[in-house]
Formats: sequence, C-alpha cells, structure tokens
Amino acid sequence: MATARPVRAMDPYAEQFWAFTLSRELRLQRCAACGKFRWPPGPTCDRCLSDDFAWSPLSGKAKVLSWTTFRRGYFPEYPPPHTVVALELAEGPLFISYPVDVEPSDLRDGMTLELRWIDATDKFGEYNLPVFGPPAARG
Amino acid sequence: MAVSFDRARLAPLKDAVAVVGVGETDYGKDYRGARGQAVSKGEARYDSYTLASRALKRALDDAGLKKDDIDGLCVGGTLSGERASEQWGLNPRWSGGGDAAQCIIEATLAINAGLCTTVALVYGNAQRSMDTAYGGARVTGGAITSYFYYAPWGMTSQGALYALFFQRHKLLYGTTDEQLGAVAVAFRKHACLNPNAVMQKPLTIQDYLNAPYIAEPLRLNDYCLINDGGVAIIVRRADLARNLKQRPVMVSGFGWSEENVDATQLRPRLKTFYHGAHHDVAAQVYPMAGVTPKDVDVFATYDSFSVHLLASLEGFGFCKEGEAGAFVQGGRIEIGGELPCNTSGGMLSESYMQSWNHQPELVRQLRGGLGNRQVQGAEVAQYVHDVAGKCKSLIYTRGA
Ligand SMILES: [Zn+2]
Repeated sequence: MATARPVRAMDPYAEQFWAFTLSRELRLQRCAACGKFRWPPGPTCDRCLSDDFAWSPLSGKAKVLSWTTFRRGYFPEYPPPHTVVALELAEGPLFISYPVDVEPSDLRDGMTLELRWIDATDKFGEYNLPVFGPPAARG
Repeated sequence: MAVSFDRARLAPLKDAVAVVGVGETDYGKDYRGARGQAVSKGEARYDSYTLASRALKRALDDAGLKKDDIDGLCVGGTLSGERASEQWGLNPRWSGGGDAAQCIIEATLAINAGLCTTVALVYGNAQRSMDTAYGGARVTGGAITSYFYYAPWGMTSQGALYALFFQRHKLLYGTTDEQLGAVAVAFRKHACLNPNAVMQKPLTIQDYLNAPYIAEPLRLNDYCLINDGGVAIIVRRADLARNLKQRPVMVSGFGWSEENVDATQLRPRLKTFYHGAHHDVAAQVYPMAGVTPKDVDVFATYDSFSVHLLASLEGFGFCKEGEAGAFVQGGRIEIGGELPCNTSGGMLSESYMQSWNHQPELVRQLRGGLGNRQVQGAEVAQYVHDVAGKCKSLIYTRGA
C-alpha cells in the first residue's frame, strides 16, 4: 500500500507529468520551438508562446539552493519536523522536493543531490513522488 | 521588457488626489474580546461587513464627509463590491478592488479620468472569527500557485516560502537570526506606543530567539497576527480636499510592477528576492514624487513576515543588496531612528489587515500629533507592497 500524501494540484498537463512517475521517469515539458523547460506543466511556452513541446527526460541531478524545516504540523501526512528543499535542476528549472538520507544540519548551499523515488497515493490514485538524496556511492 | 511608464503622463497625477479620511476598528479590544480574553479561532463574532461598516463610518467622520459625498467605491479583503454597496446604500459611479495600494492607485486614476471625485476604499476581514487558514490541507487553490502546488512534498504556507527566502539570504550574505530579530523587536516597540495595536507586551531580542520556530529559520514572532478588523480610507480630488476636517495628505507618487515569470518555481523569490520588481517600481515612484529614498521620513512595508522588510530596504535602495541585516540594527528602523519603519506595529504587532492598516498610520504620521509615536517633522512617507513579487509602492506627502 502506497503512502498517502497531501493532494496534488491536477490539470491536464500535471496529469501527464504524474503519469510518467508510474514508470519512475522524471520528465518536464520542453518547448520544441525554443528549448525552454517549463515547470509546473502548462499549455504554452512562457518564453515564445509555442504550444509545441515534448516530455523531455531529466538527468535527476540537482543542486541545493535553500531549505526549511517545518516545526509545526500542517499536514497529517508530514508530522514535524519535516524538511523541504529548494533545488536547481541540472537542466535549469527550480524544483521543490524533500531530502532523504541526509540530515537537515548537513545540507549545504550548492550541495549535489540526486533523484530518488518514493511511492505515494492521493485521491487521484497511486504515483511515485520524486525526492532527492546524496549521490549513491560508486562501487 | 517594453518600457512601460511615461513620466510626462504621470507628472500631472502627482498630488492630484488626497487622502482626507481614515478609520479602522478597535483591533486590540476586539482581539481581546468582551471578556478580556483572546477571541478563539472559529468563534464567529462578527462578519467582515460588520467590521468594514464600522471602519467606513469612522473614516467618514474623520473626513467630515457624508455617505452621499461618495461616488466611487473600492473594496478589499473578503468583501463583495455589490453587497458592500447595497449594505451602505451606495450606487457608485465607479468601483474597483484589491489590496490597499492597488485601490489607491486605481482610485487616483479614476478620479483623474473624471469618473468620480470621492472614493471610499474599504476593507473588512473576520479572519480570526472565521478561522481562515493560510497553510495546510484547507489551502488547495487560489491565485498564487506556489502557495499550494508543492503540498505532495509537504510544502505549504506563505511562511515556509519566506523561510526558504530567508535561508537563501543567510547562505548568500551571512545574515543572522539575531539580525532578523531586530525587525520584530522594533515593530513590537512601535505597537506598544499604539493603544489600538493587538500586541502590547514588549519583546526583547532574547524573547524573540527563545520563541519556537514555525518554519525554520523563521520563528513565531517573524509571523504576522491573525486577527479580525476593518479599515477605510477616503480619497478625494485635491481641489475638493481643502478646508475639510483634516489636513490633506497627498498621493504624490506610485509605482507598480509584478514579477510572475517562473513564480511557482520560486525563481524570482530565491534568485533575486524580487528585486527586479522593486527596481521597476523604484524607478517610477521616486521620480514621480520628486523624492529619493534619503527624503523618506516614515517607511512602511507589507509585513506578513519580518523578512519582507529586508527585501524592501535592499530593493528600494535604502541599503545595498545583502546589507539589510546590518541596516536594521541599532534602532535605525525605530521611531527616533534614521528610517522609522512600520510605526504602528505593522502586521506583525498592530493588526494583520493585509496592507490596509499601514495606510492610516502613514497618513496620521504626516498629519502630525501622534504623541510619543510621532516621527518628528514627517513630511514624506513611503509604503512598499510586495506580496510574492506583486509589487507596488506609494509615496504620500504632507499637504497644505
Ligand atoms: Zn518556447
């Protein structure tokens, strides 16, 4: 049974983003005309207004930009303390997620984190949630 | 981005409209309740119209005007323009709405276009009685996507978004918690000089640091209040503003710029602290009013969180980027200091009227006579509104 999460904001484009997570793929829309990645998903490129795009796979690499630790509970699914990170994806967009396998006190500006997946569910159904942790040790 | 504002067209709007009346509800008394106890959340006592009506009556009395003198109406908070007009027996010839700065700019434009002469700007919000939520599962939509978009990761609330902002400021510039604490301490000091403010107990820097984190690195006193209240402001064409009950306060400059590109990603919030919008607005508001930051005697900023002040001071050129933490030390932002900020106590300590409580305070500072809260010789007052990069600013000056 997947873990319950606070409900996703859903629209026809978000639906496609989350559908890729079922196969553990992190993809963002990339404008076919000018190449700009966009997040959150939407109908047009905000730079050139083209509606032509492809769901482009991401490397899953990101750098830490900022973080906050909730000391007061807001969602029953996330009892405090719960830490959230703001990341800069290698492809450019900023992305909010939460860190795994790293203590909040060990987070640093510019630290590299990599994509992990955690199973999740809400009223729209099951999906996988992209979260970020330290790069796996090389063997 | 195209050049937008036109100095030649804006020039005649300087001092063309005056604030002639202000009024608000009894924030502190209402918060403490009839039995001398804090009103519990969800204990409905008033609705927003009760509060707004009371404020409107007081603003009209303050101006020495009658309801029938009003020919324009702007509403803010949770009010509907239609219901408000009906409630107050008004058939306005023009109407608008939004935050206080937006309403003052829009009313100035409408008056100058000849649509109306005397506009009531009225706000009411029974947010404590109604137990309004600004974070968590009950916040699922609205105009600003970043408030709810990251709920699946446990991210919610404007406070946590400003916590990310402050953490980034700390990382880039070495700003400290003690430095930020000076903001809450100063605003509380001001509230203690304001009998109408909700918070009346002094706050020391040690009290600030001892209070619990909400979204670390922000602590309890970095957050604004949640209280009930209403505010009303009467603005009028300048030539009709003379010889009323109060000395008029002139709307001498305004500016407006929004930074919405990549807003949900938090790019302008975390990469530039919304300074793009601040710079646009500064380039409009100061030349229009014919002043510079050095001329500002009293300053107020939207302060749902203490962090807002750091962003405004840097963005409008009161100090260099990264230096606001040092700037707010040593009483500089307190009454008697170089740049008194949020002299009513602001939204942190007076009342969370979402930009509306700042305007009466600035108007009264320019009228003079506020006793030990008075900024001596105040002639130029500035308000900066910055809600998630939707930035506006107003400059008021003392009228003749
Ligand atoms: Zn494009």
